[in-house]
Amino acid sequence: MNLALFFQQVVNGLAIGSVYAIFALGYTLIFSILGIINFAHSAIFTLGAYFTYALMGARFGFNGLLAQTALPFGLPFPLAVLGGGLLAGGMGVLVERAAFRPLRNRGADPLLMLVSSLGVAVALVNIIQYLVGAEAYSYPNALAGLPPSINLGVGGVPLIMRTVLVVIFIISMLILFALMRLMNHTKAGKALQAVAEDPVTASLLGINTDRLILLTFFISGFLGGIAGTLVGLSVTITGPYFGITFGLRGLAVLVLGGLGSIPGAVVGGLAIGIVEALVPPDLSGYKDAVAFAILLIVLFFRPQGLLGRTFIQKV
Amino acid sequence: MTTPVLDIQQLSVAYGAVQALQAVSLTVSAGEIVTLLGANGAGKSTTLRAISRIIAIQSGSLRYDGRDLSSLRPDAVVKAGIAHVPEGRRVLTRLSVEDNLRLGAYVRSDKAGIADDLERTFTQFKRLAERRKQLAGTLSGGEQQMLAIARALMSRPRLLLLDEPSLGLAPIIVREIFAIIRDLNAAGTTILLVEQNAQLALKTATRGYVLEAGSITLSGSTAELAADDRVQKAYLG
Repeated sequence: MNLALFFQQVVNGLAIGSVYAIFALGYTLIFSILGIINFAHSAIFTLGAYFTYALMGARFGFNGLLAQTALPFGLPFPLAVLGGGLLAGGMGVLVERAAFRPLRNRGADPLLMLVSSLGVAVALVNIIQYLVGAEAYSYPNALAGLPPSINLGVGGVPLIMRTVLVVIFIISMLILFALMRLMNHTKAGKALQAVAEDPVTASLLGINTDRLILLTFFISGFLGGIAGTLVGLSVTITGPYFGITFGLRGLAVLVLGGLGSIPGAVVGGLAIGIVEALVPPDLSGYKDAVAFAILLIVLFFRPQGLLGRTFIQKV
Repeated sequence: MTTPVLDIQQLSVAYGAVQALQAVSLTVSAGEIVTLLGANGAGKSTTLRAISRIIAIQSGSLRYDGRDLSSLRPDAVVKAGIAHVPEGRRVLTRLSVEDNLRLGAYVRSDKAGIADDLERTFTQFKRLAERRKQLAGTLSGGEQQMLAIARALMSRPRLLLLDEPSLGLAPIIVREIFAIIRDLNAAGTTILLVEQNAQLALKTATRGYVLEAGSITLSGSTAELAADDRVQKAYLG
């Protein structure tokens, strides 16, 4: 691999990795607050992609209840992404109300919530299939007006990037930046950190923990929905199971970065993105294997993940 | 006596099959420091947790300022004017001293007032001022206790619940903390104090109750309590 190609692949990896990061952050936020992995997150990722598709006014295919229907209006892609993310955030809120809060109020074992979220994931995937069938969808003319590729090279050294990847990278970075601002510079963000560290003490400070958990699910769903849309944009929406394989990779990022660590999710996402991009094209079928091999190796030396805290069992 | 600010009648609390509180009645009037004495596991902390509504109550009534607390969420209790400094301090270790204090004012929305109170806190607690940007987890035990109290005060409570403020602290720090508690009271904050150190508690408070195995067995002015044989034997001996 020559140097120019290497750099190109690294930049490609950063773009995809940034999407992994925002997707994994959806898991991370919920894990940091509730200590559980929300398996429904991958289904929300899928839903987000479909929401954006629908909001663009695009028509659904030949199968399913919504066959051949489309919204009477179509939003331009940037607005549709935002709308898709917001709707996915709303779904996150519904999932919390339906699958998590009732169990939490009864003091159920966290394992039950995990199973419950898995049930929600399966249900959502089936509902999608029932509504719009199993075919693949791509966003129509999402980036109309932009050239298919952009040269980011300097001084005569070409660094040709697919425009889609540049757009994905920019959107992901904007979202990451906004999330960091929210977490570190707003009252709600500080309160979220308080609930994550010690929910009882947070309550004693007057923080309504249930409301903040809802907010967490909204943000998580929003991130998932945006990530789904961005992956759909870079390849296609492959069908109702779109998010499931991607979900595994998100989990790998979550564990690699360190469970519940926000910087960890970002670093882990970028790392896995780059590693995958550097897999030679003739071995591209083994991308997942490479990602998970890296995960295993890192965990062997750092069981808490790259930036995870060692968990000290409190008595 | 004036009508009490806090009026607890026949309060019972159970943790599963364990009866933690059994028909506890106590009152706190405005301006008082009332102390709850008792051995480990007698139900002192449970009483405070029930007032803060972070544990479920079985029966009985909890009234604050004429309002029924039993139907409130914990955050609404804070809004009503009660702040609780929990046992073991429970500062948010991964947030800075300043962020801990700001979160203490979570229920308030008067930005200017919060900024004033923050500055006042830093003048009052010099050591917190020096560590303003430091993570709370890096503070010493005494500093964490000061932070926990200062944080509770940021909600401008009228009733302060203090759970074992002296626990695990060196005597010199304990004296400092109790001087702060007396100052707060002199400035008008009503205090319900749970304290293992009965001598210190009786010296600080105006009235007290003795809890034994979830029931109140004795109550009276701190002078009366200090003179009581049973108290002498069990807690001051």
